[in-house]
Amino acid sequence: MKDWQASVPQWALRFLRWYCPDYLLESVEGDLLEEFEADVKTYGIKKARRLFIQHTLLFFRPGIIFRNRFSFQSINQAMLQNYFKVAMRSMAKRKLYAFINSFGLSIAIACCVLIYLYIQDENSFDQFHDRKERIVRIHNKSFDQQLLDEGKEPYSYSAWLPAKLADVLQDELPEVEHVTRFNSGTEGVMRYGDKIFKQRTAFADSGFFRMFTFPVEQGSTNKIFRNLHEAVLTEKVATKFFGNENPIGKTFTFSINESTEYVVVAIVAAPPAHSSIDFDMILPTQAQPYFARNAESWSAFSYPTFVQLKSADAIFNFGQHLDTLVNKYMAKRYEQWREREKIPAQYKVGEFDVIPLTDIHLSNQVYWHKVSDEKYAWILMGIGLLILIIACINYIVLSLATANSRQTEIGVRKVVGARQGQLINQFSAESLILSIVAMFIGIGLVSILLPVFNQYTGKSIAFSISNLSQIVGFMFALAIIIGLLAGSYPAFVLSSYKPVVVLKSKNSAKLQTPFAKGMVILQFSLSSILIVSSVIMYKQMDYITSKDLGFRADKVLAIETNAGWTKASDDMINQLRIALSNEPSVSAVSGTSTSFNRGWSRYGYQVNGENKEAYVFRVDENYLSLFDMQLVQGRNFSTTEDTSAVIVNEALVRDMGWKEPLAEYLNWREDSIGRGAPVIGVVKDYNFLSLENDIHPMFIGAKNQTFGHMTTALVKLALGDLTDQLATVERAWKKTFPDKPFEYTFVDQDVARQYATHQRWMKIMAIATMFAIIISCLGLFGLAGIESLNRIKEVGIRKVMGASWWGLMLLLNKKYMLLAIVAFSIASPISWFFMQEWLDTFKFKVDLTWDLFALTLAGGLLIALTTVSYHAMKAARINPAETLKYE
Amino acid sequence: MSKEYLGEFEELVLTMVGILQEDAYGNAVVELIKDRIGREVNLSAVHVTLYRLEDKGLVKSEMGGATQSRGGRRKRIFKITNAGLAMLQTMKEMRTDLWKLVPQLKIVVA
Repeated sequence: MKDWQASVPQWALRFLRWYCPDYLLESVEGDLLEEFEADVKTYGIKKARRLFIQHTLLFFRPGIIFRNRFSFQSINQAMLQNYFKVAMRSMAKRKLYAFINSFGLSIAIACCVLIYLYIQDENSFDQFHDRKERIVRIHNKSFDQQLLDEGKEPYSYSAWLPAKLADVLQDELPEVEHVTRFNSGTEGVMRYGDKIFKQRTAFADSGFFRMFTFPVEQGSTNKIFRNLHEAVLTEKVATKFFGNENPIGKTFTFSINESTEYVVVAIVAAPPAHSSIDFDMILPTQAQPYFARNAESWSAFSYPTFVQLKSADAIFNFGQHLDTLVNKYMAKRYEQWREREKIPAQYKVGEFDVIPLTDIHLSNQVYWHKVSDEKYAWILMGIGLLILIIACINYIVLSLATANSRQTEIGVRKVVGARQGQLINQFSAESLILSIVAMFIGIGLVSILLPVFNQYTGKSIAFSISNLSQIVGFMFALAIIIGLLAGSYPAFVLSSYKPVVVLKSKNSAKLQTPFAKGMVILQFSLSSILIVSSVIMYKQMDYITSKDLGFRADKVLAIETNAGWTKASDDMINQLRIALSNEPSVSAVSGTSTSFNRGWSRYGYQVNGENKEAYVFRVDENYLSLFDMQLVQGRNFSTTEDTSAVIVNEALVRDMGWKEPLAEYLNWREDSIGRGAPVIGVVKDYNFLSLENDIHPMFIGAKNQTFGHMTTALVKLALGDLTDQLATVERAWKKTFPDKPFEYTFVDQDVARQYATHQRWMKIMAIATMFAIIISCLGLFGLAGIESLNRIKEVGIRKVMGASWWGLMLLLNKKYMLLAIVAFSIASPISWFFMQEWLDTFKFKVDLTWDLFALTLAGGLLIALTTVSYHAMKAARINPAETLKYE
Repeated sequence: MSKEYLGEFEELVLTMVGILQEDAYGNAVVELIKDRIGREVNLSAVHVTLYRLEDKGLVKSEMGGATQSRGGRRKRIFKITNAGLAMLQTMKEMRTDLWKLVPQLKIVVA
């Protein structure tokens, strides 16, 4: 009769006892057993067991669990208080280690929070538009021979599209609600009364204001741009020109190639920092230079186009409809291009594609001026994780090494009756306390570091009510994870000590466990990866900034003429030269179509049926001498003739395979009658693009507007005081061109700015490396201190036996040096691999040679040695009588 | 109706406790519901409902005497309180009142 009881699933019963409140347990258990007994009779043992388990699990519900009165809480509270007290005492006893741990952890937490903020900011891009899920941007994917030659996927992507596309989309596709073309970044001269400033403007269609959420602050954007002389400004521009006057209805002139008058009809809110679409003011697309010429064209790709669909679901159909549409208007052109450019049949000439507005920021294959590479977020995350691991290892290793002094406590607790679980709880609680302390320091660090971080990453993140709660939540989560992660291993090790062993003997805890050794190696390796990487980065940046570029750009001013792509610009160069001809502080004046790092223009042409490409710059006869560029053959442009002549670079000579370049003609305009432009000289290769690029074929021409117009004046200053010289040039400029703003940059700074991103990342790496070094050195310092303390008697005995100071130093430091070398040899190949990847973005780069690694290793060893030898020295110096007298 | 609201299942369980009188405990309620209206209910659901009814003061409970069966575990016997009875009464009357307002049509099986 009783045998059914033996087959009750015991674990289910135990589970029930665990969660069920005591006062209910008996009756619940009784009911369950009664049912079980009945079930055994009806269904047999097997099914009854299953049903029993099922019923017990069903009892695990809020209605039962929450009837627990949590009576154990009061006991725990007392224990918790005790844990807290003991934790505080043990921290106070070893202030240095507590400091090392919490400082390391707080740096790590601060790093993680900053990176969290960065990633959050990246993901918040363009999320503020009300209709964001219905807005898409169209882009063009087209065949690119250069990419094919480099062995990559042979398509390049561009957001710049034919002007006509927008009209056709609006007229022919039913799912399209609004369309706008949007071009930003055109500069012109804006004038109101006596205020003349260079001003950047964007161009858009009326749909822009119906699609995007930029609230109207004054005036109205209804029926906007029906009159093409209307303008929308942001507050900033309005104040700049109109001061405190009401800007609505004011008329100003804006000139790019020609002057036009505009009326301000609305003031809209300025786009926030996390908006891909940014503008200071907006003029109608029709006002954009050359729009009339391009309006009906399908071959001038100059207009980014945004579309708002009638519903978010329409995006699937829209893609297909777009293909059909493009086919209808572009197919013939594509075929012509295929023939002309000799595009292999297996590749598409081009197609149009769509991405949602909110994805623009992180789709870095399509260029957009604010686009960002997800890679950077990953790199930052990696760095943050490295620092976090390094700091956690500090904690683990140090708590294992200091375990010695806690042995007695553990022993006593165990003897008194503490179970291992309780000890684990205690040590976990301790590490939690520490990591929460670290969290508070971390908050302070974040607020100190945030401005620097913003500067390096080019962000404008600030604490605000909305993100503060998130940050605090994130930090708490982080602190708890760190506390448990770092605390768990020591907790398990410490709590597993056998009380008899610990209380009886006094074994010295050396750094003997393979686990701790592995940890130290891992920590060193991670730091070494950062060290080696930042050394390589530094080397490369040093190489780039000091490399001979083939020209000298120091003390050269680049001043934009602001007269548009016209002959007036060319004339201004001459006028400026005449105005400055008597100034001793100016050594040369010249002009160029595009100065360094201001863009370029490239022509494609066919020579004997072969496709060629070359960069072209319009300059004048003073250009080469101003930049100190060397001619390897031939002569410079003369002042009077050579209207169509060109000077080519060595790369072009190589590309064309010319033996006698001076006898050749470059038919770059594909003139079917003449022979093209005579080559009068060959200039030594110079880096007219950034060092991320090879030196491509290039030629310069003067005197003829087929080469373009000189829109930038170049002024080379002589030796002397810069401030005075600038004042002189400004005075001459203002006198000669009273209606043009005097805005200049230094060419050498422009050149350096090409590498601004790399510079920024180098700084970020440098800071991260510094933190990593500091944290791991602190850890090492602590560890060495504990070790030498533990071996103090050994040292004493050795000294008595006659060991030399050097011998003792070697004894105490040897191990760390070995660990460091092992770690370094692990780290080197890893960082070599990653840095090779980074270096591949440059066409001109340093070689990674062994001496670089050797020097870094030597440096790292020196740092480690200095850190550990403080304790070794202290231990070796101490009088053995002091340490041995109690034995 | 009073401020306390009784769910359908609660009312059912409460009624069963009323019917079972001295012998109302978890399993008995489950069995009775099964016998009377052929509805399979879960033991844990009944338990939770009984405790909730107790919280509301509609039933009270005490431990019964020790038995040989049930592995020697005592039963928790529930008894309906006056408040519980009043509640059942109100609900029944209310339903009757409402029923009277429904036009008395014949149920036609189409």
